[in-house]
Amino acid sequence: MIQLFHVSKFYDRCAALDDVSFRIDKGECVILTGPSGAGKTTLLKVIFGAEIPDTGQILVQNRNVARLRGRAIPYLRRTMGIVLQNFQLLPKKTVYENVVLPLVIQGVKRREARKRVVDVLTAVGMDHKQTIRTGVLSAGEQQRICIARAIVNSPILLLADEPTGNLDAALTVEIVELLKRIHAQGTTILLATHNQRVVEQMSGRVIHLQAGHVVIDEGATS
Amino acid sequence: MRPLYLLREAMTNLRVHRGNVLIGIVTTAFTLVCFGVFVLLYLNLKNLTGTLQGDIEVVVYLDPGASEQVMSLVQKRLRTEPAAVALTFVSKEQALREFAEQFPEESLLLEGMDGNPLPASVVISLSPRFLDTESLGAFAERVKQLPGVTHVAYSQDWIDTLTLVVSYFELGAVVIGTILAVSTVTIIANTIRLSLYTRKEEIEILRLIGATGAFIAIPYVIEGTILGAVGGGLSLAVLKGIVEFFRLELSASGWFMGVEHMLPVFPKQVSFLLVMTGMLLGCGSSVLSVFGLMKVRN
Repeated sequence: MIQLFHVSKFYDRCAALDDVSFRIDKGECVILTGPSGAGKTTLLKVIFGAEIPDTGQILVQNRNVARLRGRAIPYLRRTMGIVLQNFQLLPKKTVYENVVLPLVIQGVKRREARKRVVDVLTAVGMDHKQTIRTGVLSAGEQQRICIARAIVNSPILLLADEPTGNLDAALTVEIVELLKRIHAQGTTILLATHNQRVVEQMSGRVIHLQAGHVVIDEGATS
Repeated sequence: MRPLYLLREAMTNLRVHRGNVLIGIVTTAFTLVCFGVFVLLYLNLKNLTGTLQGDIEVVVYLDPGASEQVMSLVQKRLRTEPAAVALTFVSKEQALREFAEQFPEESLLLEGMDGNPLPASVVISLSPRFLDTESLGAFAERVKQLPGVTHVAYSQDWIDTLTLVVSYFELGAVVIGTILAVSTVTIIANTIRLSLYTRKEEIEILRLIGATGAFIAIPYVIEGTILGAVGGGLSLAVLKGIVEFFRLELSASGWFMGVEHMLPVFPKQVSFLLVMTGMLLGCGSSVLSVFGLMKVRN
């Protein structure tokens, strides 16, 4: 599913990632941990093509992301769901309009899109708020909408960068449970967090980063 | 790609961001009004100088003793001149009648004279291409050499002044027009850029979920084009109003009695130019802005 070979990324000669190599198989749930500035976000960014590594290669579903041209990036992102800490929702659009957007982009027919949106909103417990603008929702609700949007096109990979970073303990549990359910349905998950409770609740393989290096890789298959 | 969805998105954006859109429309309209005032001033002054230039005539006086054949030859020769657009032959008798009509008090002077002292003449209307001092001087010199011609009269000072005014005016038009055109483009482009910059995050979100550049850009470009067209239309309405106001005021003043064709005009091409300029600027600025915002890989 994902393979990194000696990936390094520097910002002003300072290494955000330094010779990182690992492999994530289909269906795995991997939790990327480490203190702030360890390189977790940079690692996710190079996987979804927002950053180009300075050295090394990244294979995502057999596509070398490091060598992808700019215009191929949107098509790569359509195969994955991305959830960020700061929600990244369109606040003036409704819940339905936000969640349906990936399907519109991919040209899914309206009826089919509606069915899929209702299904995912039901799965995240937000189907009753379809017509509400996302700008007025609570943080926990916004993150659930964000997750719904990330999984609406049934991606085989879900990347989540500190998805509980802006949430309190109770909401964190809710989101973790939601991610566990998505994983149980066969979606590969790569979750970056520095929250130890999330790591414990998710119970997956843990890769610990420090100063851009992989220092621990618990449960690696190879 | 869903054309209807993208069009609907553009319309929604116009409605949702109506504050920014309104600022964009007003700025576009105001800038185009400034540009339009200049274009109208230029066209109307050009029209006016054209009318004045059209009134310039050259009078070729013929020898009072010239035979019919010589006078006919002079006219024939003048018709071959590219500078001469129209010729009017004024016979000695006609010249006397016109003098009496124009100067009824002085006509008594002629009564005491033996016969008709006024010569026959040929009045030449000139082509606008030959209205500059040099061409006109050369033309007069050629005509003077013709047998049977005694004198060639034209208003040298008036033509010199008019030629100078027109050349200064055209030079000024090029300089001011260029400055105004550049300012118009810059102001409108920057207004639209600023309006789109406030929606940078929106563009980032769309890119995050796999939208292509075209999918992101099309609604913005439609939006910019509509904004530009509405701004152009608004400037057109304002300018039409200004021109009509001046026409009515000037007509009422009576200054243009008998020369109504010299009143300010609003050529159809200007209407087209304003709306098209607005649309093109709106469209072009949006394309530049949205692709500028998408240049960063994130």
